[in-house]
Amino acid sequence: MTIRALQQVSVGRNGVGSFVLQCKKLDFHYCDFGGSSKGMNGFIKSLLPAFVTANPQVEFSVSPRPSRHPVIIAQYINGREKSVCVRNMQPYEILKKATLLRDSNGEKNKRTVKPVRSINESVRGVWSPYHGNGLRV
Amino acid sequence: MKRLRFDRWTGQLPLTRAGSALGSTSMPRPGVSVATISPRCTAVRYQSTLQNTSVWQGNPTTLESDGPYEQYKLYEEDDGTDHERFPPLEELPEKATTLPSPPPERALQSAKLAALHARLSLPERLPLQTLARALVDASADEDARFNNTNLAFVGQSLIHYHVAEWLMCRYPRLPMDIMYAAMRGYAGPATLHQVARSWGIEHAAAPGGEVDPGLLQFSQQRVGDSITAFGYRRTESKAVQKLRWRHGLSSRVVFDDDFGDMIDVEDSRAELMARANTEWGNEYTRALAERAFANCTRAITGALYAHAGREAAASFIKAHILSRTLNMTYLFAFKKPTRELSLLCAREEFEPPVARLLSETGRASRTPVFVVGIFSGKDKLGEGQAANLNSARHQAAMNALKSWYLYSPGEDTRLPSEMLTEGAKPWEPAYIDIGEIISR
Repeated sequence: MTIRALQQVSVGRNGVGSFVLQCKKLDFHYCDFGGSSKGMNGFIKSLLPAFVTANPQVEFSVSPRPSRHPVIIAQYINGREKSVCVRNMQPYEILKKATLLRDSNGEKNKRTVKPVRSINESVRGVWSPYHGNGLRV
Repeated sequence: MKRLRFDRWTGQLPLTRAGSALGSTSMPRPGVSVATISPRCTAVRYQSTLQNTSVWQGNPTTLESDGPYEQYKLYEEDDGTDHERFPPLEELPEKATTLPSPPPERALQSAKLAALHARLSLPERLPLQTLARALVDASADEDARFNNTNLAFVGQSLIHYHVAEWLMCRYPRLPMDIMYAAMRGYAGPATLHQVARSWGIEHAAAPGGEVDPGLLQFSQQRVGDSITAFGYRRTESKAVQKLRWRHGLSSRVVFDDDFGDMIDVEDSRAELMARANTEWGNEYTRALAERAFANCTRAITGALYAHAGREAAASFIKAHILSRTLNMTYLFAFKKPTRELSLLCAREEFEPPVARLLSETGRASRTPVFVVGIFSGKDKLGEGQAANLNSARHQAAMNALKSWYLYSPGEDTRLPSEMLTEGAKPWEPAYIDIGEIISR
């Protein structure tokens, strides 16, 4: 018995093979009375139906939140939540915010320094000082 | 302090209005008897879900007094809620709360379920009712007509078949031990659990008829009767577990399941059940959750096969399971690599392997580096580097063996199952290896 097996679990990468939208649920909260909800109420009446039909992967819910500013809360597959307060915004601005939340992957915003991040092995290999002709100093 | 208005809250659990329960002290509304109030009121769920709001579907706002809104009369206490604007969204069928899992017809009303269906890009042929059934574990509902056991068994067979076939054609020289580990890495319960999580499947706190059908339902106290392995029960299984009797690979191929594990024995099930029932948040309850999530992945695959056919199921498995990454070189652990390599060379009639020092630096320093290559005649079989000569030689032998075992005919190797499609090109035999160097 010379070979034994070590156990590993395969790693999934979203977008390789299949893509699963990371936004799970969008909650829209509005107030009937408050002036800051004016745009949100217009959005719910005019733009939301089309937005919902275009995004069947996301669960939507609309509920009143009296005497509060209107807010959109998004829940993601990674368990995180993002919320955007949309007070005093126009319907189309709110649509932009909703699209932003839908397209986000739910992770905290990070500064991306390198353009490519990969778990694949480098095709070129890692440079080694022990191979090749070496460098004459 | 502000009064909390539970009736305005949204949530997954049904909430009852104040005073609607039997035996409550509040006065019932005149004309409505307590007996008629309570069972239906408890069954009405408050949940603000878009599909049903009247704002949104543009339902006519003219309400008939005795029409679909008759149910509002059931709320005895007038707390100022405008029931026309905020209608109760889903009325549960009678006795729903006493059922172990949600009735199938409720699947059509669940927003979560519809979203999951769309998220996985499942075909329309797969109805929501079947998807809802795939989310009910055997531990939640024992009735095999309503839980996912059958679907999970079909799905499991399909997943194992496709993964095994792919591994066999892609890496024809894998030793059996590594083959089992690779099978488990791609299709084992831990992996399928991760797959289900990555689909955004959530689980209900406890199973029941009133729970949203879009949530995975399993019991954290019981072990369900789902069949998750196919194999033969060994008579000596107790001795193997307790006394560590040897069970070699050849017998594992014959008797055990697709991962080379002994199939569930009664003792381990009983222990799992006993400990999960008394303890909380330990490895046993986690094992139950893992089982349920993995079964759910299998069941969705099986449901796809049942409704959309073989090709849809095969491409689903390819997209969600075979597309994952597993570094096969991490699966190997060697005991005597140099011995195995010299046996390999003898078997293949190569010249016996010789280790040669390729380069070195800092032999007398604290951090030396030796690069050793293993040669058979003029061919370099492998190369390794380490801080001492012996380790470097072993490393080189391991690398040589890994490159032998991980031989692959190419990424786009044809698979036997591809022959089932219409108009497939004639089959060219796949590469079959003569076997391991030293088997046990």
